[in-house]
Amino acid sequence: MSEADSVQRFLDRFSVLVVEDEAIISFLLEDMLVELGAAEIRHAATVAAALAELDARRPDLAVLDVNLGGERVYPVAERLEAAGVRFVFTTGYGKAGIDPRWAARIVVQKPFDIGMMTAGLKTVLS
Amino acid sequence: MSMQAETSEGTNATSVATLALERIVRSPSTLVENLPIGIYTCDRGGLLVQFNRRAAELWGRAPNLGDPAVRYFGAINIRDGEGKPISPDESPMAQVLASGQSVRGRELIVEQPDGRRLTVLANVDPLFDEQGTLVGGTNCFQDISELVEMKGRMREGRRVARRVMEALPAAIYTTDAEGKLLYYNKAAERLWGVAPKLGDQYWCGSWKIFQPDGTPLPHDRCPMAVALREKRAMVGPEAVVARPDGTRVPFLPYPTPIFDSEGTLIGGVNMLIDLTEQKRADAQQRGLIDELNHRVKNTLATIQSMAAQTTRGAPGEDAFEGRLLALSRLHDQLSRNLWESADFDAIARDAFARLGAPANGQVTIEGPAVHLKPRAALGLGMVLHELACNTQKHGALSAPAGSVALAWHVVDGRLFVDWREKGGPAAVAPKHRGFGTRLLERAIAHELGGRSTIDFSASGLHCTMEIPLSG
Repeated sequence: MSEADSVQRFLDRFSVLVVEDEAIISFLLEDMLVELGAAEIRHAATVAAALAELDARRPDLAVLDVNLGGERVYPVAERLEAAGVRFVFTTGYGKAGIDPRWAARIVVQKPFDIGMMTAGLKTVLS
Repeated sequence: MSMQAETSEGTNATSVATLALERIVRSPSTLVENLPIGIYTCDRGGLLVQFNRRAAELWGRAPNLGDPAVRYFGAINIRDGEGKPISPDESPMAQVLASGQSVRGRELIVEQPDGRRLTVLANVDPLFDEQGTLVGGTNCFQDISELVEMKGRMREGRRVARRVMEALPAAIYTTDAEGKLLYYNKAAERLWGVAPKLGDQYWCGSWKIFQPDGTPLPHDRCPMAVALREKRAMVGPEAVVARPDGTRVPFLPYPTPIFDSEGTLIGGVNMLIDLTEQKRADAQQRGLIDELNHRVKNTLATIQSMAAQTTRGAPGEDAFEGRLLALSRLHDQLSRNLWESADFDAIARDAFARLGAPANGQVTIEGPAVHLKPRAALGLGMVLHELACNTQKHGALSAPAGSVALAWHVVDGRLFVDWREKGGPAAVAPKHRGFGTRLLERAIAHELGGRSTIDFSASGLHCTMEIPLSG
C-alpha cells in the first residue's frame, strides 16, 4: 500500500488548501499531494490566513490540521462545509481529540504515510 | 461379704436422703425458703408477714417481721425503671392491697443498704381468704440485673454502630427484605441531595437514577433491587444519581443482602461511593496524555518529513517510515490504556495490519489475553513489525503458499512467543546483522531481560522470544 508505484494520481489538476502550522509537516503534505497529482497547493498556518485564502479562491479539496498552535481549525471547516468543499482533518490526538460536532469526519492520524493519506482523501472524495 | 456391707450402707444412705427430700416437699415453707426467687407476703396493712432467704439476699437485709417501719417491701428503697424513687405507698404491693388486682412484670430497682442497686422483675398478687376477702399480698421477684445490663449493652452497641455509620464519609443506607428504606446516613443524604422519608421509598433513597449513558434507571431495577432479588452481593454497576437541584453524581454501589442465622433474607445494606473526584482526575489525566500524544505525534510527523526531505529516494526510506509509523501506532495502543499497559493481541494484529491484508488464512495469530507494560509493548511491538516486514519482503508471505503462525502463552509470569514461517523460500541468515536482528537481540535480551532465538532454516524462519511480564 505504501509502495510508490501503487500510488494513483487521483488528485489530477486539483487545487488543494493545506492548513498546517508546522512548516516541516507541510513539506511532507505538499510532496504527497503532488505525488497524488495535485496541480496547485496553497498553504495557511492560521485560521485567519486560511479564511483569507478561501475568500480569494475556492479550493477543490482541503487538508486541515486540527490544532494550529493552540487555535482550533473548526471555523475553516465550517466555511468549507458551507462552500461544499471536501476536507480531511489531520491530528496527533486521533478521533478522541476532535470536537464532537466534527467527530464523524475523516481524520488522518499523524504521523501518516502516503497510504494513510490516500485512504482518507479517497473516502471524502467518494 | 465386704461388698454386701458396702451395698447395704449405700442403700441406707439413699433412703435417708429420700426421707429428707420428702420432708422438704411436704413442708411448703421449706420449699419456698429454698427457691431461687425472692418471695414475701404482707398483710392487708402492708406489714411483712413472711419472706424467704432469696428475698433477704435481694434486699440486702432481713427486717423484723411485723416491724411497723417496714411496709410493702423489705428493701430500704425502691425505684422505678428510670431510677426515680418510689415511696412505699406508691409501691406495687400498696397498689395491689388497695385494688385487689395483680401487678405483673413490673421492672423495679432495689436499693441495698450498701448502695448496690439491683434490677428486679416484680409480680404481686392479692391473697384472699375462703370468703373472698382480701387478706394480704405476695410478691415474687427475681434479679434481672444481668439481663437489663445486657440489653443496655446491646442498645449501646446499636447506638455506637449507628454513630459509626453516621460518621463514615461513604453514603450508607439499609432496607428491609422487600427493599423498603429503613435507615440512611448523612453522607447518603448529601449524595442524594434529598432526605427521603423512611418507609416511603424502596431500594434507594435518591430522587432519580440514570445509567452512565444517560438512560433512566427505574428504582426497581437499581443495583440494590437486583442484589435483594437475586440474593447476592454485588459491586456496581456504576450509575448516576440526579439530584432535585439538577446536579448529577456518578457513583459505584456495593449492594449487599443481609441474612439471619437460618439463611433467610432479612434486609440489605448498600454503600455508595461518589466517583465525581475520580472522574475529574481521570479526565485530567486523559487530557494530559492526549496533549502529550499530540506533541509526540507532531514531533514524529516532523521527523518523518525531515527524513523524507533528506533521504528522498534513498534505499531504506520506506523502511524508516514504516518503523516510525509502527512506533507511533504502539504509542496509540499504550495511550488507550493511559500508558499503563497494552494488549499483546492488539499489537500482534497491528504488526500485520499494514501488510496489504494477507487474507487467505496466511497469518494465524493465537494466544491468551496478555497485558504488556509499556517497555515490553514497545520492544515486542517493534520486533514484530520487523519480522512482519521481513516475511513480506523475503520470507513466507513473499510466496502465495507461504504462511506465518504467531502464537504465545504464559507460564509462571513469563511470556513465550513463537513466530514460525512455512511454505515460503528457505530462510537465509543475513550477511550482516541488520536493524531487525539487532533489535531482536538487544530489545528482548538486554532491555526486557528475556531470551530470544532465531533459526534460519530451509522450511522457513523460526523465531522464539521469552520475556518476564513483571519487568
